[in-house]
Parts: sequence; structure tokens; C-alpha cells
Amino acid sequence: MNRRSWAGLALASPALAIVAVFFIGPLVMSAVLAVRGKDGGLTTEHFAKAFEYYSTDLAFSAAIVVLSTLGIGIVAIAIAGYLTLGEHPRTLAFLRWLYRWPLFIPFIVTAQVMRTFLAKNGMLNHVLIGSGLIEPLQAQSLLDWRGIVIAFIWKQAPFVTLLLAGAMAAIDRQHIEAARNLGASRLRVLFEIVLPQARRTLLVGLVLSFVAMLSVLSVPMMINPNSPTMLTVDIAYRINSHGDYAVANALCLMSLVLASFGAWFYLREAARKAQA
Amino acid sequence: MRPFRLTLRVALVAAGTLLCKPLPAVAQTTLNVVTAGDQNMVDYVNNYLGPKFEAQNPGVKVRAVGTGPGDAGSQKIYEKLSAQQKAGTAAWDTDVAVVHQRGAATMVKESLLAPYTKEVSAGKMATRDSSRNALGQNVEGYVIPMFHSQIAFAYNPAVVKQPPKSYAELAEWVKKNPKQFGYNGVKGGMSGVGFVMGWVNANAGMGDQLVKGPYDASKKAVIDKSLASLKDFNQYVVMTPGNAGTLDMLNRGEIAMGPVWVDMFYTWVADGKMPPNVKLELPQPGLPGQPMYYVVPAKAANAALAKKFIDFAASPEIQAEGIVKQFNWYPGIDAQYVKAKMDEKSWNKLFTDITPDALASYGKPFPLSEYFTDILESYERVVLK
Amino acid sequence: MTAAAARPSVRWRETIARIVMILLLAFVIFGPLANLVLWGFAERWYFPNKLPQEFGLTFWARVFSPRGGALGSLGTSVAIACLTVLLTLSVAIPAGYALARLKLPARTLILLIFLLPQAVPNLPVYVNIARVFYELNLNGTILGVVLVHAAHGLVLAVWIASAAFAAIDVSLEEAARNMGASAWRCWTTVTLPIALPGLIASAIFVFLESLDEFTGTYFVGVPDVTTLPLLMFNASMGGNYQIASITAMLLLLPSIAFMLLVERFLKADVLAMIGR
Repeated sequence: MNRRSWAGLALASPALAIVAVFFIGPLVMSAVLAVRGKDGGLTTEHFAKAFEYYSTDLAFSAAIVVLSTLGIGIVAIAIAGYLTLGEHPRTLAFLRWLYRWPLFIPFIVTAQVMRTFLAKNGMLNHVLIGSGLIEPLQAQSLLDWRGIVIAFIWKQAPFVTLLLAGAMAAIDRQHIEAARNLGASRLRVLFEIVLPQARRTLLVGLVLSFVAMLSVLSVPMMINPNSPTMLTVDIAYRINSHGDYAVANALCLMSLVLASFGAWFYLREAARKAQA
Repeated sequence: MRPFRLTLRVALVAAGTLLCKPLPAVAQTTLNVVTAGDQNMVDYVNNYLGPKFEAQNPGVKVRAVGTGPGDAGSQKIYEKLSAQQKAGTAAWDTDVAVVHQRGAATMVKESLLAPYTKEVSAGKMATRDSSRNALGQNVEGYVIPMFHSQIAFAYNPAVVKQPPKSYAELAEWVKKNPKQFGYNGVKGGMSGVGFVMGWVNANAGMGDQLVKGPYDASKKAVIDKSLASLKDFNQYVVMTPGNAGTLDMLNRGEIAMGPVWVDMFYTWVADGKMPPNVKLELPQPGLPGQPMYYVVPAKAANAALAKKFIDFAASPEIQAEGIVKQFNWYPGIDAQYVKAKMDEKSWNKLFTDITPDALASYGKPFPLSEYFTDILESYERVVLK
Repeated sequence: MTAAAARPSVRWRETIARIVMILLLAFVIFGPLANLVLWGFAERWYFPNKLPQEFGLTFWARVFSPRGGALGSLGTSVAIACLTVLLTLSVAIPAGYALARLKLPARTLILLIFLLPQAVPNLPVYVNIARVFYELNLNGTILGVVLVHAAHGLVLAVWIASAAFAAIDVSLEEAARNMGASAWRCWTTVTLPIALPGLIASAIFVFLESLDEFTGTYFVGVPDVTTLPLLMFNASMGGNYQIASITAMLLLLPSIAFMLLVERFLKADVLAMIGR
């Protein structure tokens, strides 16, 4: 390695150190605590207990996050697509201003507003009843898994849209013009020309969202902490009510495995690009 | 370059002011009060106890911190004290702690608390069983109850014309009125936990053994069986997000009945968050209630001041004005001392819906710690699967 | 012929469709936020009223009272956020530069390491680091919380900084060096100013992430460090919606202010380079 490489490593090392000590270290600790028995040896009893009590919640977490990610993808493609291919300048400007608002609202505030918005007698139902779309008796409380999905999509879609719109804007306009001149509909241009080129950014955004959602404690705790709920609530419960770090860490590792599915998608795409 | 330099300067100044502690103008002692429980506990110390105590003791500042509701909050306090004990710290940074019974029991068992009740006058005025026994653990001398709270069913009489008077009647009632009853399970609040404990008490046929002991590990099967019917019951009810969740849904008319903390309920009515026509009742065979305890950590930095504070907080006048009148709790010290300091109207407000007799018959303590844990785990195993 | 005659009605339909879509989106985004504002000014609000029975400012007085805790929490939150930005940028700028310009051994591995805090659920980390901090007496201290926030924010900072440096044309730096500028001079007069908008954008993101951070502070900061999100959480779980809404609005102020600013600093080409 030449001098420049050493210099580079030296410059990057403080940042690496912080991540290593304050992130990787505790992760390793988590793995160790999850498999350490009372006598200090290896054991699977914590995982067994975690599965026995929380397998429903594991499935639930996976389903919620996958569903939310799909929803985020659809919304992001729709909005970013319109921003790139839309032709009405005032609508475009307004849309561009409008969609970003949830971006800067933290998860915890999102959870709070959704709590009162999605309740059985909350604002959403009031408006639906008031505009005659549903009957008062049909009003449902959305404060269950649907509320969690809605909160996640509401909060994360603008972020992915932002990334995607940026990537779509960087595409050479000529491709789009050419296709439109040939008579292709805008929808077709979106799916056959624009999206394939912005695919990588979309994937990055979705994977980041996928992983972020697995970590959120405030949303499930405030909207639906009762079973079935997300693993994060169970982890907090195990620690706060029972001081049970062992099972809590077993649950953490299960979370990690779920997240790695998302990361796997990204790595597969990156490898494909490296080959191309 | 300008915004960058400006930002840098601002950041450095902020860091500087933060890292340098300001010199106090007057020699001040800070009394650190750490309390578990809902926000109303922190408000109580911040808005009521603190200012009064500071007025009587110039040079003292009372600092109240909350650790969150339920046993989770007490667990955080336990972890803090335990860590300091393990590290061998000479003076701990918590002077007064307010904890639940479960937390207090663990702390006494691990010698984290200092005995103090004999040294304060209020110690003689708390003679109920709860001041000596915390879920089976002997805590005599280490605790003075701050208040006693009680779980009860709140119901909307406009919707629930004939409220069910017992657990058995409730189980029938929910089948005829699905989704009108709500409770918060065992996570997120003790009102739900109390409801589950009451269910086991009503259905396990163990009588007083749950509360008085002795602990018998083989009873786990009995507990499991009594909770099997709860799983069926849950199909007809709404699960709420917590103590406040139940009250919230009652407020919005989304449920008509649910277990609530009596004091929280009255505070909500006073705050305009609950329709004033909602009433309370205690079902047979009973619902639990619990005290929260004032405790002094073993190596508290300001132990003498802490004891003075607790003596002040547990005095009949403060109990009457603060605990009962303002915050709608049942008093921590014996009732007769407090009643003497109150006018009859305010005293009777506590007992509008639930008479002293009903309280005496159907207000139960929580089960022994070991049964408590067994019931919680059984709920997760049997009901939630 | 028919096409020309059909155009006005088609246009009307399109316009109405556009307007409806925008209105729906506006309701979805602003409805929950409007609910927040309503609760912030409500004095009495219970069923069956769709709007508060009484409006008032009592709860504002409560929040801002000297012992209310909100101002203290706000100060703590802002202080922690500033310190986090300082710490993060001071290690992220050299690391970003090294990644963009210098040859780093195992570059992909290093990029992956920096991705970890966003690619992996954070809960295991927070839970275990709280335990370690107890031993080190760092739990419940501002430094502890800053370290946790910085470890998480480093990802954004390093990746955005690296993208910002990568977007600089190398020929500009070479030109400066050719004209006789020293390495340091080249850095301060050419590299840094061009990368500055991207760096400021990353500073803003790190600041906002730290300000809004809840889960880590919940485990590491309680009970001594109370940030505004924690205060909001406690108020919300305690059912005090008025106080929760008011503190949420306080929390949103810096977010929205920065949202209006960040657009100037995040250009599309920088965004497109994230992840490269």
C-alpha cells in the first residue's frame, strides 16, 4: 500500500472507530448475550423461549414491514413519475412543495398524530362520514396493523420519493423525449425507460426504509402495542418489565435476520451492477 | 465560507457553554427525586411538592425526573441504583425515589435502600399492611406509601344501563355487547395488568393464596387454566394502547366500559378529557390496587434532606391538599389522619361512586411477586398465542 | 376532427382528475397535521364533538411554565443535536474525502461498515449500549446520548460528504495545484467551498435526526436526560394529548425551517451520487 492509502485510512479511522465501538461492539454483545446460558456456556434456550412467546409477532413484523415497503414503493414511483413526466407546471410545482412535508416529521410525532387521526371517532372517519362516503356505523378504528402500515408509508414515502425524483431527474431527457415522440404513453415511458434507469436508487431507498422501519419503537408502541405487535415493542417489554436481556437480545437477533433479507436484495443488485 | 464559519462559531459557543457548568450564585443543594409512574407523578413533585418544600427550605432546589409508567419505570430506577452499587460509587445521585411495590421488593432484597421510617414522624402514621409488605417481601422500615390507588371499571351509564357486577357477569355481557369493553393487555399500563390479575383471582379458585402465599410453583397449571377462558373473552373486547388508551377510547365513545385507575380517571374528568357522566364501579370478587412508595437509596447523597422531604410529603396536611384533593389519590398514610384535615365535601368526592365499604371488600392488593410473574408469563403463553 | 372537438372535455376531465388527486394528497398530508394543531389549542374535547368544545391556551402556559420542562428539554435537545453535528462532521469530512479521492484498501468493506447503522436495526445496539454505559457511568449523560446519535448519524454524514467530494471536478483541484497552491490552500479555497452545500445538507440531516431521535435516548438517556421527543412520548402515553401536541409542534419548528432551507443545498446530482 502506498502512502496515499495509509493517509486515506488514517483519515477514515476516527469515523470507523466510532462505528466500531458504538455500533458493532454492542451488536456483537447482543449476539453473545443471546446465546449465553446462566452458567456461561452456549445455549439455545433464549431463542426457544423467544420463539415460543413471540413467533406471531415475528411473522407480524415481517408482514408489516414488507407491506409497508411495497406501499412506499408504489407511492414513490407514482409521485416521482408524475414529477418527471408530468406536463402541467402549476400542478408540478405544488406537488413538489406538497409531498415533502412528512419528510421532516419524526416517527414519534407521526405516531402521535396518527393516534388521533385514525381512531374510530378520529378525524379521518369524521371526514369520511361527513362527505357521505361511509355510514357512521361502518366507521372502524384503524389503530391496529393498518395504522402502523399507514404511519410508516406516510412518513417514509416522501424520503424515497425524494431520492427517486432526484435519480429520475438525472436521466437524460432525450431518452424520454424520443420515446414520447414515437407515441409511447407516459405510463409506458415510466415503466420501460425511466424506472429501469432509476432502479438502483429506488432499491437503496426501499432497503433503507425497510431496515429503518424494523427499528422503530415509537410507532407500534403508540398505535398498537398489544399482540400481535412488532418485535421492537416486545424487546422493550422484556427489558423494562422483566429485566430479561437474554430473551430481548434473542429477539434482536431475529430482527437482524429479518433486516438482512433486505440487505441481501441490495447486495445482489450491487453485485449485478459490478458485473455489468 | 460565511455560513460555514458562522455555523462553526455558533457550534463552538454552544459546546463551550454546555461543557462549562455555570457557577451557582447561592450555595444550593439539589434534591434529586426520581419517580416512576405516569406524567402526573412528575407533575405532582414539580408543580406542588417541589415549590412548597423549597419555600420552607431556602437554598434547596427540588429536581424531579420521571422514568415512565408501570413497573418498567421502577425497573429503570432499580437498574440505576444497582449499577451504582456494583460500581461502588460513594454517593448515589438519587435522593428520593418513588417506586412500585415490585420494584421496592427487589430493591429491599438487594439491600439498595436505607431504612428510615423510624426516623420520620410520618412513619408512625402509615400502619396499613401495605407499608410493611410489598407483594410478599417484608419491607418494613424502608417504605412509606405515597398514595394508594385503585383500579375500577369505568362505564358510560347512557350506554351501559345495567353494568355487570362481577367478572362472571362481565364475561356474559361482552358476548352480548361485543367490542364495547376495552383493556390494554399486559403491556403499556398497569390497569390492564390489574384486570388480568383480577380475572385470575376470580377464576383460579385459589382464594387468598395469590395474595397471602405461600408461593407454590405447581400452581402454574391452575393459572394457565384460568387464563384459557380469558383468551376466549378477548375476542369480544377491544385492546387499547395503555392506561391512557382505555380512557381515551372511553372519551371518544369507542368503548363503553374498561378498567381504569381511579385517580387518573378523576384527573381526566377535571381536565375536560372525559364526559362528566361516566361512572365507576368495583366488580366482585375485586380488582387490585397498589401503593407507590417513597424510598431512600442506601447511599443517597443528601439522605437527611431526603428524609425531611418524605416527612413533609407524607404529612397529613400535604396528603390532604395534594394527594387527595388535587390529584384524586387515596391517601398513603392512614385515612383518619388525613380525613381530619379535610372538609367533608372534598373527602366524600373520593367515594362518590365507590363507597368505603366497597373499597374495603373489593379493593385487593396485587398477588405475590412470584405469582405476579407467573401470571404475566402465563398470559403471554396462553392468551397471546 | 373528432379529436379537436373532444379535446376541451378531455382537458376538463384531466383538470378535475388533477385537482382531485392534489386535494386528496393534501388531505392525507395535512389532515393529520391539522389534528395536531387542533389538539394543541383544545381545552375541552370529548365525544361526541367533532371539534373541541373549548379552545384555549392553558396548556401552553403549562408547557412553558418554568417547571414545565419543555423549555429545558428543548434546550437539551438542541444542545445534543449541535454536539452531534460537531462530532459527526469532524470525523465524517476526512472520511468522506478519503473515500472519494484517496485510494482506500478494502473500500467496499469500509463503505459497508459505514452503511451498517442504517442497514441494521438499531434496537439491539441501544439496548446493550445502555448496559455498557451504566458501568462506565455514561448512562443518563449528554455525552452518552451524543455518542449514540453520532454513531447513527455518521452514515448519512459520510455518505453525503463522500458524494459531495466525488461530485467535484478533479481538474479544478489540479488547476489550483498547478498554479502553485499548497495542498491546504487548495483544500480551503477550492475543494471545501464546492463541497460545502453538500456538507451543509448532511449537517442539516444529522441535526434533524438527532433532534428527533427517540429510541436511543429512551434507553440511554432516561431518566436524567430529557429530550423533547421523550417528553412528547411521556405526555402522549399519559394521555395528555394537549401537551403532546404542543411539544410536537415545538419539535416541528426546526424541522420545517430546515426543510425550506435544505432544498437550496441538496442538488440532484449530489443526490444521484449517494450510494455510488
